[in-house]
Amino acid sequence: MNKKIGQILLLLTLIGFFGCGEKKENEVVFVKEEPVKEEPTKAWLHKVENYKGNKNYLSVFYKYYNQEIKKENYSNAADILGIVCVFLADSYDFNEPFMATIKEFDTKYRKEVPALKTTFVDAYLANYYFDKSNLKKASEYFNNITLLEPNDYNSCYNRARAHYDLSYIHYIMGKQNLSLAANQKSFEYFSKINNPKGLAFVYSNYANIYTAIGDKKRAIENADKAIKAYKSIDNIYNVYIGLINKISIYDFLNDSRKETLIDSTYQAFIDSKDESKILKIKLFDFKVENLVHQNKLNDAKKILDELKPLVEEIDSDDLTQEYKITLAQYEIKKNPNYSDFEGVKKALPTLITNQQYEKVNMFYGLLKKNAIQNNDFKNALHYETELQIIADSIGNIASRGKIAELEAIYQTEKKSQEIAIQKTTILNKNTTIALLASLFFGLFLIVVIYIVKQKQKKLKLEKQNAQQYTKQLLEKTEEERKRIASDLHDSVSHELLSLKNSFEEKSNIANTKIDSIINDIRIISRNLHPIMFDKIGLKGSVEQLVERTQSVNDFMVTAELDYNESLSTSDELQLYRIIQESLSNIIKYANAVAAKITISENNNSIFVEIKDNGKGFNVTETLNGKNAFGLHNIIERSRAIGGEAKIVSDKNGTVVTIEIKKQ
Amino acid sequence: MKILIADDHPFTLQGTKSFVESYGYKVIDTCSNGISAFNLIALHSPDVAILDINMPGLDGLDVAKKVQESKLKTKVILLTMHKEMTIFKKASEYGIYGYILKEHAHTELEKCLAEVKKGKRYVSEFLIDDLISDKIDATNELSRLTLSERKIVELIAQQKTSKQIAELLFLSERTVEGHRSNIIEKLGLVKEKNTLLKWAIQNVEPK
Repeated sequence: MNKKIGQILLLLTLIGFFGCGEKKENEVVFVKEEPVKEEPTKAWLHKVENYKGNKNYLSVFYKYYNQEIKKENYSNAADILGIVCVFLADSYDFNEPFMATIKEFDTKYRKEVPALKTTFVDAYLANYYFDKSNLKKASEYFNNITLLEPNDYNSCYNRARAHYDLSYIHYIMGKQNLSLAANQKSFEYFSKINNPKGLAFVYSNYANIYTAIGDKKRAIENADKAIKAYKSIDNIYNVYIGLINKISIYDFLNDSRKETLIDSTYQAFIDSKDESKILKIKLFDFKVENLVHQNKLNDAKKILDELKPLVEEIDSDDLTQEYKITLAQYEIKKNPNYSDFEGVKKALPTLITNQQYEKVNMFYGLLKKNAIQNNDFKNALHYETELQIIADSIGNIASRGKIAELEAIYQTEKKSQEIAIQKTTILNKNTTIALLASLFFGLFLIVVIYIVKQKQKKLKLEKQNAQQYTKQLLEKTEEERKRIASDLHDSVSHELLSLKNSFEEKSNIANTKIDSIINDIRIISRNLHPIMFDKIGLKGSVEQLVERTQSVNDFMVTAELDYNESLSTSDELQLYRIIQESLSNIIKYANAVAAKITISENNNSIFVEIKDNGKGFNVTETLNGKNAFGLHNIIERSRAIGGEAKIVSDKNGTVVTIEIKKQ
Repeated sequence: MKILIADDHPFTLQGTKSFVESYGYKVIDTCSNGISAFNLIALHSPDVAILDINMPGLDGLDVAKKVQESKLKTKVILLTMHKEMTIFKKASEYGIYGYILKEHAHTELEKCLAEVKKGKRYVSEFLIDDLISDKIDATNELSRLTLSERKIVELIAQQKTSKQIAELLFLSERTVEGHRSNIIEKLGLVKEKNTLLKWAIQNVEPK
């Protein structure tokens, strides 16, 4: 049956060939120029109703055509010849005189007209040979069309059509692989020009090819696509054709979904109140089969009775035969001993051609039973043999389906295995990359750490050196100051003293002057260096400093000194300088009422604190400013003796703390 | 009375020797460094040793210390350029008998030797100058007070309580109270309530 559907489709596509030709103007992709206004004869020839209704149509055509050829107006001649070709091919009218005309045009005038305008010659000849079952020749002519350059709408359309026809020929010849390839090409060109109707044909074709291969899944997929495509262009008639095609596929592949689909399609057709008689007969036949199967014989009878006049009216061999088979199914179900098999016998060859083996099987079974009942053993044996052949065919289809199924499973497994292998490969690769990356990163890290460590070492060394240098510098400075102080104090003062004593009998003015100079030197010297620091020690010297600050600056300083001379004299001297610097800062800037110096110590450290209740200052800002020498002096000196200075200041005063770890 | 003189400045040494001899004392020996000085003291046991402080080897303080430690009878007089109280205090620890400044030797040495001869101690009257600021007006009653006392009076004039004063001057409250009674004593004020406050408000000019 699917072969028949294919034939119907071929017919439909031929009509579509024309329909689409007219539609070309609306295409966005390739726009055809407006048709020129035709002369009356040509316009008359152009109308399909004139071809169908007027017996003189062909003679008018010949007259006009020959006249144009004579005028060497080949393009126009080709136009009209093309139109008549389509009319004739559509009605399967392949008469010899017209063939002669076509062949003459092909050999003599075709080269005068652009290739695209003469594809109708190939199309007509291909259809002619197809009709004569010369599939090889038909293929050749279709192939000619596929050589067109696909550079506009028309050429694409013609190519798509030709590929489609070729696919169908391959399908009939059982070369499903070639059929698939050709159909794929057709699909590409129809896609290029975005022709939904063409695409719908292609899908239907796919459905047929996959059915033949036994690929149930793809067959149904494409049948659905075809139905969808028809729906999208609102071609209801073809939607039903698509559905009927799908039902046929289910039938061929023995799919249980057939019954449901028949019911729903039948219902939809009834509801839509469609007038199409052919569709009605086909769908009602299906429905009756269903009802018979479900044992609803009354309902089946009703539909069969309704169909009967319609079938008689159409009087088509195919449809009548189908009706009779359906009727036979009903009768057999109703009466197991039914024996009017003449109609059935007539229908059997068609059923076999259409590969409807289940039905054939059933009928042969009945025939055999009947023959045995009638003691006609010869025929019974014949039917038995036929039954065997049919059983083989059914098995063939089943095994084809099975093979396709297994093939699909095998392909899927192969694919998944490949994917698994790829995944493993990728994983291995990734692992390697990750390993290398982490190795590289690790090395990089080690190098970085090494460099940083080296740098830190260097920095530490530099810092140590700098600290050493600072300490030495400070000590040297102190030494220098001490030397100058003692030189002044010892030498200069004594010289002055000698001078004073050398005056015979006291010259008071000179003496007073000398005394005051000695005093000045004393002040200078003690400012340079605390007098006899190594003898007096830190505690005594700080006390001295406190007393002097009190008396000279009239500034209240208290001291709480708990210190047991655990530092070296040079370190003590630095501490003394820090205290001196702090006090000096307080007196200069703090505007404080009083200050307090505290030295305390425990087993591990010595703490020195100098605090005041002055106005305070912003420590960070001052340290970063220009005039911070005094503060840096405190910090650097602390560092030089292995201590740490902290300076905290707010509006209630400032506290300088130095902590020195005992060695 | 036997006297030993040690000084590393030859001129000063000579000068001192002539002064001492001119006062009628016998100089049994002189030297120019601390080590010799101590040896000579140990050797001769002079009644008095006049020592400079700054000397090579041992300084005058070291010698004084060693004399004290060795329980020698020699009485040490330090004749020095150092006018610092700290040094005098240090020297006092070593039981010295006299402390004179070189620039005033011609006026004080004789007096000092006389006192020491009597077994008394003598400290240069110029030494105290070092601690007193020149700025202070001697006519002001405040000048009789120490710095702490003056500060306290100033703060009392600002109507601060003892506790506040103690905080401001980093002292204990008890110390402040002690200072207060000392001030009242020194100024000879009548012992009545708020007597120091009244006095302070009258006599201290606000800063």
